[in-house]
Amino acid sequence: MKRMLTRLTPLVLAAALLAWPWAAGAAAPGVGECQDCHGDKTIEKSLPGGGTLSLFVDEKAYRGSVHGKGGCTTCHADAKAPHGKLEKVSCGKCHPDAEKSYSGSTHGKGHAKGIQDVAWCADCHGKHDIRKSKDPAARTFHLTIAGVCLKCHKDRAIEDKYHLPGQEVMEAYESSVHGMALKKSGLMGTAVCPDCHGNHAILPGDQPRSATHRQNLPTLCGKCHSGILEKYEKSVHGKGMRGGIADSPVCTDCHGEHRITKITDPTSSVYSKNIPKTCASARCHENAGIASKYAIPKKRFSTYMDSFHGIALEYGMTKAANCASCHGFHDILPAADPDSTVNKANIPKTCGKCHPNAGPNFAKGAIHVEVTPQKAMGVFAVRAFYTIFISSLVVLFVLHVGLELHGRRRRKRMEEGKKE
Amino acid sequence: MSAKSPDPVCIVRMSLMFRIQHILLMVTLLVLAVTGFALMYHENWLGRTLIQLEGGVLFRGFVHRAAAIFLLAQMVFHAYYMLFSGEGKRELREVMLRRQDFDDFLQAIRYNLGTVTDYPRFGKYGYKEKFQYWGATGGIFLISISGVFLWAETFSMRFLPKLFLDLTLIVHGYQGLLAFVILLFWHMYNEHLHPSVFPMNKSWLTGKVEAEWIRQEHPLEYEKLKQEGVL
Repeated sequence: MKRMLTRLTPLVLAAALLAWPWAAGAAAPGVGECQDCHGDKTIEKSLPGGGTLSLFVDEKAYRGSVHGKGGCTTCHADAKAPHGKLEKVSCGKCHPDAEKSYSGSTHGKGHAKGIQDVAWCADCHGKHDIRKSKDPAARTFHLTIAGVCLKCHKDRAIEDKYHLPGQEVMEAYESSVHGMALKKSGLMGTAVCPDCHGNHAILPGDQPRSATHRQNLPTLCGKCHSGILEKYEKSVHGKGMRGGIADSPVCTDCHGEHRITKITDPTSSVYSKNIPKTCASARCHENAGIASKYAIPKKRFSTYMDSFHGIALEYGMTKAANCASCHGFHDILPAADPDSTVNKANIPKTCGKCHPNAGPNFAKGAIHVEVTPQKAMGVFAVRAFYTIFISSLVVLFVLHVGLELHGRRRRKRMEEGKKE
Repeated sequence: MSAKSPDPVCIVRMSLMFRIQHILLMVTLLVLAVTGFALMYHENWLGRTLIQLEGGVLFRGFVHRAAAIFLLAQMVFHAYYMLFSGEGKRELREVMLRRQDFDDFLQAIRYNLGTVTDYPRFGKYGYKEKFQYWGATGGIFLISISGVFLWAETFSMRFLPKLFLDLTLIVHGYQGLLAFVILLFWHMYNEHLHPSVFPMNKSWLTGKVEAEWIRQEHPLEYEKLKQEGVL
């Protein structure tokens, strides 16, 4: 309260005068002295815009903080008793590395431009009550930090103002496999925002230095899913990606990002029923451009969907083979590779996973049957024969019926003529 | 065609045994067609609607295979009946293909074109009936064999290349379409739309036809029945 401050001023002045000889000796005020004023829960100052700002500092919270053993003047170096507006605290003085990475981040750059909405040290870490991120009471604790990020990143006004991904994306995270592991199971191992996006050095995913840039994604996901990364690196997709082929899929192309779910979830892009569509998405295996660019076989999706496996899967028999059942997924290899599950030599074994009797003889003939004279002459010929045969039969039937009706009319006329 | 007499003389053309077989065959083929086309046309509205009506692709398969077993059983019974029963043997003799049938067919065409003056005189079964009977028999035989290969895919895969199964699948599907087309055009015309029977030859229900109809459409059979004293 303003009145209280004015009331206090003479008292403080008197105390200051009394304390002058010591104070002049450069002794900075201790926590206790600061608390004389800042320990008062009602102490506040009015802001130019209207409102008020509480100047209360909870000593207990401060003592429990990581800085609790120090004093106020470590950060507020210009604090005297009494004092006016203090200089802004510089965390970088003691945390130069953090400051450096922060200043290169998208938050840091915004902050340097004077954007007030952007997150600054205190927005994530707190002020007087900062705790180590390992401390479950810390704002930056693994199971708490997502909420801190979402304070701004689920705020429609902020999203609109800075063209950030919308609320749906953030909500998708909350119901994703990572989000559920966090919210429901409280798993320390789950991925929370900074695990993928980084903390101080956070950058948008379209920047090559960003942790979430395409080319960094496999390594990023591999931090936790290292066994899978190892398989992926050996796969045709992994090698292509490391070789700089931008069309090669990375983790998120198949699994999604924030909305990533378990493969048993029917909404997952890698749920058995959805796998063909995911592999065939306009960008990849049903794209004629991609097929010719990398000399891979065409029409894999349509031929699959026309097969019994495809029909069964489409109509809900999730046990039916999908792309991954035969080709593998993380460890997918081109058919020419002898280690590939779809190499001619391995096909009986691969088919044998579901059809134990599939013999070497079975491997003869194409699995994806593209009905053209070049690709499947037999099937093409038989189909053509039937099509022509059935159509001509229909024509002949109609002709026969027409002729017969014509003949009957003639016969009737003749019979009538005889009678007359 | 003559004017209908008030109390026509009727004779049995289809015995109860054949009427039962005919009705069972009709129902079975319809079930097989509906469940089969659902799969054959899975990518368009027809297949989607049929599969939905049939309770999903899994149930569709059960129904199709159950009907197939029933059809095979009917085939075995029919073969037995035609080969070993008195009535069957007689009917088999009547429906057996002869050179005469081909000549009749050519003569009918010639007559209809107006190049000969006499329409062929048919026995109990003319070329139209025989074509229907043997066409259906051959078709069911082929579709059954291909169906068994597809059904017993674990067995087929052990010995046969996938190419063979691809071909079998095509044959099975198109053979079904062929049967459907024959039934739709040929049988529909002969037994429903033909002027002498329109709107329907009722013998499949009553077993009987008018003697006058026999005299007109199957004169040789009429003469035979006269000789035998049935008429």
